[in-house]
Amino acid sequence: MRHGFTAIQALALSLALAFLVLPVVAVFLQVSPAAMLTQLGSETATQAIVVSLRTNLVADLIIIAVGTPAAWLLARHRVFPGRRLAVTLLELPLVLPPAVAGIALLVAFGRNGLLGHQLNALGLSIPFTEVAVVLAITFVAGPFYLRQAITAFEAVDPRLVQAAATLGAGPWRTFRAVVLPLALGGLAGGWALAFARGMGEFGATLIFAGSLPGVTQTLPLAIYSEMNRDLDAALAIGGLLIIIATAVLLAVKMIPSWNPTPASSPTSARRFATSSSTSR
Amino acid sequence: MSTLRWARHVTVATAALVMLATAACGPLVGAVQEPTVLAAASLTEVLPAINAAARFSFAGSDTLAFQIQQGAPADVFAAASPKYPQQMFAQGLVAQPRPFAINSLVLIVPRANPARITGLRDLSRDGVRIVLGDQGVPVGDYARQALAALGLSGVLRNVVSLEPDVKGVAAKVALGEADAGFVYATDVRPVRRKVRALRLPAAAQPDVEYQVAVLARAPHPAAARAFVRRLLSPTGRRILVDHGFRVPAG
Repeated sequence: MRHGFTAIQALALSLALAFLVLPVVAVFLQVSPAAMLTQLGSETATQAIVVSLRTNLVADLIIIAVGTPAAWLLARHRVFPGRRLAVTLLELPLVLPPAVAGIALLVAFGRNGLLGHQLNALGLSIPFTEVAVVLAITFVAGPFYLRQAITAFEAVDPRLVQAAATLGAGPWRTFRAVVLPLALGGLAGGWALAFARGMGEFGATLIFAGSLPGVTQTLPLAIYSEMNRDLDAALAIGGLLIIIATAVLLAVKMIPSWNPTPASSPTSARRFATSSSTSR
Repeated sequence: MSTLRWARHVTVATAALVMLATAACGPLVGAVQEPTVLAAASLTEVLPAINAAARFSFAGSDTLAFQIQQGAPADVFAAASPKYPQQMFAQGLVAQPRPFAINSLVLIVPRANPARITGLRDLSRDGVRIVLGDQGVPVGDYARQALAALGLSGVLRNVVSLEPDVKGVAAKVALGEADAGFVYATDVRPVRRKVRALRLPAAAQPDVEYQVAVLARAPHPAAARAFVRRLLSPTGRRILVDHGFRVPAG
């Protein structure tokens, strides 16, 4: 009977693998690598590549610059009034449908939106610009980084932070010399996830930023626009996104080895702290 | 023998899942004798008034044509231009297309009209934000045709977004985010409280003809033909006219 159960498990695994891998393989079977390269040289594709990379780069810089200190604060202070509410609100975009994100951004930052008047007064108009694409990506992808960053910082042994303070390091130096190196692997993983989500952003961008080649048309929007005209072009862009996604995934899997010292894991960090305190 | 029980649980659960899935898919493949109609987005309001029981999928005609080429299990294709039905007729994917409605292209601006647009010439002013249908989307192609006829192709540099269907254009103008957009006259009604429509000069007005065809591999051919008959019948024509369309002679 044990064999029968194992067989069912094996069958389930094969089913899952076949179902999840087949569509990805099909993309590459449909278009030859040579045709793919030619297609990726087209104006539509190159413009979309530039728009996607540029907007994601800016969005990721914003996400890391704002997200890192915010996550550190939330990780250091585990109990303060409103902490759970704050974390929940930060996580909301993770579960929000992208179409909701798009229309929400529109009524917040659109010309007739909540901040429309103030933005107009400053001479700013966000919809249909690259700024809108950046905001859409930041909104949907930011929480992926925040969440990972909070976890990564929480895994840093607080005693190490105290020790650093005892030894006279200021909060900035403690963060830079102790916390950041220990959390780096987790932060990088969070960034990779945010980047992958940002590169795939579609719904919020289409609604909030529109779709215009060379301005707001990112790679996923280019697929949607090309699909009806030129399936090969759409598939070539799809292939490119699959390759990028695979690279990101592999990078995430290899993250532990990014760290020069294996002390990044919480257990080894704790061991380090304990041994240093006992060897006194 | 707990593994046996487990295996049995798994089997039962799998069977239940399969049955559920089959039941859920039932109406798509089963005996329900109502056609599935793939229709241009501009027909969103009128077609359910002609047959409320049919299942509709509204999108840009080019998207629908693509879905049919990819084997979508649908019965009827109603497009906002002759282009795709005729193309697919030539490929043997649909039966002979029939014209059934005529529309006109209009320019819409938000009620507040922030860019103060009173005519097509205003569209070439710097900073005016125009949305069009994407290339291949009938409403976008008609708009480009109209602008070319007026010698106003320079307007295209003011385009800020190319939308996948006409409802996308109407929505961006109705929200006041775009200053102007080209839609069909019949698309104005659902957003009439938010937009104003400007008529195009006769010389620039393209022929917007809708065509309908039964798919060659329609799962419900009888229901499909009945749908088309009703669409072309005096009742169908009256409902089209009530919704602001014109109908071809005959």
